[in-house]
Amino acid sequence: MTGLTVLCVDPDDGEREATVEALADADDATVLQGDTLTAAETAVAEGAPDCVVSEYDLSDGTGLDLAAVLRERAPDTPCILFTNADPDRIRTDRREDVVVEYLPKDMPGARESLVRLVGNVVARRTQVAYPLPPDEDERLAALQQYDLPGLDAADTFDRLTALTRSHLDVDVAFVGLVDAHEERFLACAGADWETLEREDTMCTHTILQDDVMVVEDTHEDGRFADSDRLDELGIRAYAGVPLETPRGATIGAYCVTHGEPRSFSESELADLRLIADEAMEQLELRRRLNERESAAGGERSRATDGSESR
Amino acid sequence: MSVQRPTYTFEGLPVAGVESGTNLLVTGPALGGIRELTLRLLLRSTEREGTLFVTADTDGRATLEDYEALGGQIDFARVGVVDCTEEGVDDEVHNVHAVGSPADLTGIGIEFSSLYERLHANGAERVRTGVYTLSPFVVYAPTKAVFRFVHTLTGRIRTADGLGVCAIDPGTVDDQTLSSIAQAFDGQVELREESGECAVRVRGLSDQPEGWQPVDLDV
Repeated sequence: MTGLTVLCVDPDDGEREATVEALADADDATVLQGDTLTAAETAVAEGAPDCVVSEYDLSDGTGLDLAAVLRERAPDTPCILFTNADPDRIRTDRREDVVVEYLPKDMPGARESLVRLVGNVVARRTQVAYPLPPDEDERLAALQQYDLPGLDAADTFDRLTALTRSHLDVDVAFVGLVDAHEERFLACAGADWETLEREDTMCTHTILQDDVMVVEDTHEDGRFADSDRLDELGIRAYAGVPLETPRGATIGAYCVTHGEPRSFSESELADLRLIADEAMEQLELRRRLNERESAAGGERSRATDGSESR
Repeated sequence: MSVQRPTYTFEGLPVAGVESGTNLLVTGPALGGIRELTLRLLLRSTEREGTLFVTADTDGRATLEDYEALGGQIDFARVGVVDCTEEGVDDEVHNVHAVGSPADLTGIGIEFSSLYERLHANGAERVRTGVYTLSPFVVYAPTKAVFRFVHTLTGRIRTADGLGVCAIDPGTVDDQTLSSIAQAFDGQVELREESGECAVRVRGLSDQPEGWQPVDLDV
């Protein structure tokens, strides 16, 4: 649990303090506290916790109301009901979709179990609403090497996406990096998207593929048919090519979307693959340049230190 | 070199034993023996094992009766059901806990975690969890909630050294959704039925029989 921030919400001061103590003692976790739903909402907004542990009964709502807030603002964040409430007493109407963990307080060794559960749900990302690649940790580590300052301002990607958009006659073309919780757009021609929650993206499915993923009509695809967010963004058709590093990690996707259902010809998809290769090459070149500059910077500072010490 | 014995074994099925914490996705047509296969994968091999059913296609009592008919040992301290059918009712004597709707994934998750803890507390060192089937969840609940639910369920089973056996009829869900759901599982047990002959194939796990293996199921 090292370095985690956990929000603990319980109206009973004694219970809350005991839980906070157990969580803080387990490792050097930072534990935020709240005694009401309102206080917890503020803590979620300001503290960006990695995990939320809440009693069910709160004076101004329930732990499931808090889970609903969480799913709205930071949907990947795991939520655990740590409670005296029996399952039969927990009302799930209007909260059927939030999906939380449940741990009764009255079981033997409950707080020790809670500490383990918090560690597990965060490390294993067990409450995300999308499929995870089997090598997700390695993938995220690889992504860091390509996630360089100023990359989003690179003109190359603006030119590439603008060309792609006109060449394929689509509404939007973009380069997206899929990080732990969001997709970030390095360039986006035809729309002003900057980031999207990962659970709302199609690219989080594309990065599981070996080749281009095509969805001719989102309303006809079970993975996306009930997504209001895609409708809001005007996405009905999609084609995305996974961006794979030379070492085999898929860090994002090069994509086009359209507001009406449409198909993509073999030759259009072949072009999209070529452009995606070009984008990946640009990313790789920038990574190498950055690596070399960092190394040169390191040598310079060593040389300066050396001359100063003489 | 140590030779580790698999924790969960499957007597009478052409599926080799698996390590604790394994989650299996069982796919096959609803009328082709998938129910029997799923229930047989859930047969307790010792009294110290528990079995937890999450039923969405048939009610809790019928599931327990079918399980018993296939040789399942019923011990209500260590065997229980989360009944997700709309007709489901609580039945304390038979350890059946009704949720009332396959769309209430929050309620199902809470009942599942609660029952899992109780089976452990009653001495079940290891628990086999069976979901029969995932299809109603996919049909009635939003897709994102289904992914969240499947991750939560398989995550809990993995960390508690349990066994997860979740069935789905591929005819009820499109290929893309099925393949995305399969991502949360360690391996897949496929069942096919041709002219009354059933065969299974295990994919994604090591040390399993290769290719299609005949299996005797009542279809």
